[in-house]
Amino acid sequence: MDPGIIGQSLARIEGPLKVTGTAAYTSDHTKERVAYAVPVGSTIANGRIAALNISKAREMPGIVEIYHRGNVGALYKPSPEAGAIDEARPPFADDVIRYYGQYVALVVAETFEDATAAASVVDVVYADVAAPNVELQLVADDEPAEVSRRGDPEAAYDASPIKIDRTYITPAETHNPIELHASLATYDDDGFTLYETTQAIVNHRNVVSEILNVPRENVRIVMKFLGSGFGGKLWPWSHGTLAAAAARNLGRPVKLVVTRKQMFQTVGHRARTQQRVRMSAQRNGSLTSLRHEAVNDAGMLDEYDENCGEATPHFYGTSNLLVTGGQTRRNIGSPTAMRGPGAVPGLFATESAYDELAIELGLDPVQLRLQNEPTRDQSLDVPFSSRHYAECLTVGAEKFGWSLRSPAIGSMRKDGSILGWGMSGCSWLAARFAAEARVELHADGSARVAIGTQDIGTGTYTVLAQLVAETTGIPIGRITVELGDTRLPPGPTSGGSMVTASVIPAVLEAARAAMKSAIGLATTLERQPFKGWSPEDLNFQSGKIVARNGASGKQIDYHEVLQNASVAMVSGGGKAASTFGEEHPKRSSHSYGAHFLEIAWQPEIARLRVNRVVTVIDAGRIVNPRAALNQIEGAVVMGVGMALLEEAHYDPRTGAPINSNLADYIVATNADTPRMDVTFLDYPDTKLNELGARGVGEIGLAGMASAIASAVYHATGVRVRTLPIDIEKLL
Amino acid sequence: MKIAVTVNGERYERDVEPRTLLAYFLREDLGLTGTHVGCDSSSCGCCVVAMDGDRAVKSCTMFAVQADGHEITTVEGLEQGGKLHPLQQAFWDQHGLQCGYCTPGMLMTSYVLLKHQPAPNEAEIREAIAGNLCRCTGYQNIVKAIQQASTELAAEPAAAAVGS
Amino acid sequence: MNSFTFTRARTIADALRSARGDVKFLAGGTTLVDLMKLDVERPAGIIDLNALPLAEVRRTPDGGLHIGALARNSDVAHHPDVVRDYPLLSQALLSGASVQLRNMASTGGNLLQRTRCVYFRDAAMACNKRSPGSGCAAIGGFNRNLAILGTSAHCIATNPSDQNVALTALEATVHVTGSNGERSVPIGDFYLLPGQTPERETILEPGDLVTSVTLPPPAPGAGSTYVKLRDRASFEFALASAAVVVTIKGGVMQRARVAMGGIATKPWRNLDVEAALEGQPATRERFADAAQILLSDAKPQSRNGFKVELAKRCLVHALSVATAVT
Repeated sequence: MDPGIIGQSLARIEGPLKVTGTAAYTSDHTKERVAYAVPVGSTIANGRIAALNISKAREMPGIVEIYHRGNVGALYKPSPEAGAIDEARPPFADDVIRYYGQYVALVVAETFEDATAAASVVDVVYADVAAPNVELQLVADDEPAEVSRRGDPEAAYDASPIKIDRTYITPAETHNPIELHASLATYDDDGFTLYETTQAIVNHRNVVSEILNVPRENVRIVMKFLGSGFGGKLWPWSHGTLAAAAARNLGRPVKLVVTRKQMFQTVGHRARTQQRVRMSAQRNGSLTSLRHEAVNDAGMLDEYDENCGEATPHFYGTSNLLVTGGQTRRNIGSPTAMRGPGAVPGLFATESAYDELAIELGLDPVQLRLQNEPTRDQSLDVPFSSRHYAECLTVGAEKFGWSLRSPAIGSMRKDGSILGWGMSGCSWLAARFAAEARVELHADGSARVAIGTQDIGTGTYTVLAQLVAETTGIPIGRITVELGDTRLPPGPTSGGSMVTASVIPAVLEAARAAMKSAIGLATTLERQPFKGWSPEDLNFQSGKIVARNGASGKQIDYHEVLQNASVAMVSGGGKAASTFGEEHPKRSSHSYGAHFLEIAWQPEIARLRVNRVVTVIDAGRIVNPRAALNQIEGAVVMGVGMALLEEAHYDPRTGAPINSNLADYIVATNADTPRMDVTFLDYPDTKLNELGARGVGEIGLAGMASAIASAVYHATGVRVRTLPIDIEKLL
Repeated sequence: MKIAVTVNGERYERDVEPRTLLAYFLREDLGLTGTHVGCDSSSCGCCVVAMDGDRAVKSCTMFAVQADGHEITTVEGLEQGGKLHPLQQAFWDQHGLQCGYCTPGMLMTSYVLLKHQPAPNEAEIREAIAGNLCRCTGYQNIVKAIQQASTELAAEPAAAAVGS
Repeated sequence: MNSFTFTRARTIADALRSARGDVKFLAGGTTLVDLMKLDVERPAGIIDLNALPLAEVRRTPDGGLHIGALARNSDVAHHPDVVRDYPLLSQALLSGASVQLRNMASTGGNLLQRTRCVYFRDAAMACNKRSPGSGCAAIGGFNRNLAILGTSAHCIATNPSDQNVALTALEATVHVTGSNGERSVPIGDFYLLPGQTPERETILEPGDLVTSVTLPPPAPGAGSTYVKLRDRASFEFALASAAVVVTIKGGVMQRARVAMGGIATKPWRNLDVEAALEGQPATRERFADAAQILLSDAKPQSRNGFKVELAKRCLVHALSVATAVT
């Protein structure tokens, strides 16, 4: 391996396409004779469709067809084995309305304008309309599941001198990637080609082929550029199924772009959670018990489990622990994974509680964390593969200047503002999905890596090129990356911050196999330096085939070998298994981090702003520091939004997500951006993969809301346990 | 209605429905899909184009017929002679993008900003792009990219003008 | 969006002549086009005003300022006369929307900006303003950013404009031309309370065209400011805003003009508030007294009670800034 490319802050290889407007996102694709589809959503959340009057819409100009339950054709519920989907009920499967915005009809027309106009006059008559259940108080419908238990947390709690018992609530949040969900479906003799906004092309193919009841090999999913997803584009949603069904029925391509408003209704959101945290400690700060009991809301048809206790069992060092999770159903669309699912809302609760415990103990919150740092994963009773959380805390505290903190409420002031200093730890899982890859070395000196994964904006194109460049020594500019197509070897889902860790073994193996082929070829060529050599005595270095030990001084460029052999290319495949969800892992693998931050509170104008954030992340080896830094900075700013701004409101009477646009659902703008100082510890986690890289997509968001809540308490004396921390909670 | 619009220096005469929004005209009629649509409430900014070279406007909030007789510059018009505009180069160099979906709107907004204010300070840059949402980057590198372009344009002022 | 006819008016007379039936004037379009996309507005015809010579900003003979109805918000905000003599208006304009929208939005259009109430902006919801007699879903609904002053049992929608709050404090006059000729209306009389007819927002009659706004000469020696409070740091409508113009002599407030935004169904001016300030020393106590009077009639809804306190702090802060009281 030629070290050097891994760890370099290379500019993104797809950058030129993105800055010139030529990167083709899903809705940018078009086809001859494309028709435009616009779904009609229900305006009730609980009831049924009595009648659908489409006669007026049908007379509108440009109408191609209007689909509904009666004419859409057979659609099937996919088997659990097919893969993941949140709302498994096929669209139009029955006349029952379970949430506001549920699709009830699909208008297809010659132009987008025609379809939109006709959709607005489709008249739905409802019956049995009942008040929707969008109740905010969450009590599990069934006995919550026990996620993790050790020791006797109840007895330890009762016996401890210091204890807290608090409930934390996180709201529904919507992902709001800037790119709208979209689908361009084509159907011909070869089957379906579906251009989809998806973070998981392989899963999408496997699930949608069952919904459409066609062989898997007759469905091709293409996704070259995604305007990001944050989890909202992980699994298939109804609109994609409808576009495909319409394309098949009509025998012409159909494009469907979901509106921003519909994106609040039908493509998932972060589930609301209500979490009770009980912690107890000895007076010296030793954590004696932790109970974390969470309930999240789900839709009427799904089993969505937010898994708030994802990080709790391994993150906290205590002998007595209980984590439970329960669900309660509401008349809302299915929730889905959103950036850092489970751990992000979960850590808001547990890390806030930790802060409250520290105050109860009169201990510095950093000290409390250091004092209770576990030496192994107490839930699985296995060692950590690589855990440097304590160093995150000490480095972060040092860089922030935490020792200058005056703990009394409202005691720090600057420029007329009250300052609040807060901190929080964070953690996110590390694992690998299964992956296959193919690497080709071409006679013109270029290389190509092909893998059926996708780049959702995080930099996967560039990481893949770096891996091949590092392994082969071929310059990065000569490497072509092909992804985003199910015709390629099946690659990992872009979720869980796991793509980089997942592709490393498969790509390295594929590259080495290709290199081995080139070496083999070199030993067969007449009048060439290595004719008759044993391949074991040769090496592939910096794009050249050289003698091991370098003794002979002989070498030849690999592409000369190919040219001399009249071979266009040599290739190799690689394949690696999943480690995700292993029942008995040998090690506990996670990323860690700590946020330290300062907020400014101006009570006279009720203005709260985050001034600066110091974040230290232990995410294994960092493949591309600038790209990784960008992930963390983006997550920190999203964390500002989560803590202070973001909440989807459901109208209590209609069940409509009522602030369903980007003016009323407010996300952080650039003016809300704090100064950021991000550090990576860069300890390779070689137990996870050869390079020791984990992932950086989600961890930066975890812990941000609790750090801000603790800083707000420090400034104002108000402990906000229900997000977001809006103005009214502080007046 | 018949309209004549100059887009990236090229004149187009087209018959459009009055209700066709400029963003959809650019994307669907002219095939210039670099101009993106990300919302339905004039909130996200990824549809921003330059009108008559010196005004950043949201192309989702005006009808194509309103562009009749005007010059529109889209992200496809920034590159000149196969060379990236300094802003494009800077967004690439500085990692001023992740998913890239907001990038065309960011570029066109900053393109007009730098025409009016060749050397904006950080506060002015942040104010100028307040109407452009980015959900990925945390904005820091976008600001750095605009600063880089501002410095480079000061060194070679001719590069600032496009299509003129 | 529904289909409509599109006509370009070449002259004002042309525009007035065309204004028959179900038609709308189009200026910057940032309200109208937005609402057409949402199916809230479905006009049969659009009359594009943008070719009319109404974009001029110039001094008036009395030392005031004439702002043409088509003058863009960005041009007004950066106009040297506005920056120098009416900084309050500049601040208010620059606190609104974003660069691109200010480049498009016009002075006259902003005068007629429609509410951001989510129920008004959603054709599926009950709204007396959009569809008279259908009810008000905002009452008892998501009304966090809606009005606490000037409301009725039929409508609690907030006037969202920043510009109009400043124009109210500056005592602007709105100039209108219509089938009955020209008339000039003080901005204080221009807006209507919702009462039982929330669909009527101003005194304009069908076919009336706003041609300009004039400002009286700047009050000599006055301090002024626009304070806008909101959740995030930019690109958001006000939860509460205050435009104040105060002249002080010997520590005593001689003349005070106060208008509030974000909390009322129209740009809100209460003469009792000004009376409570005039003749009084510029102190935080007197400011607080005035704020108390301002909010004494407030009728909070289910989710916007915090605006009472927020508006008080907003006004006290604005007066403190304008009078340099710390």
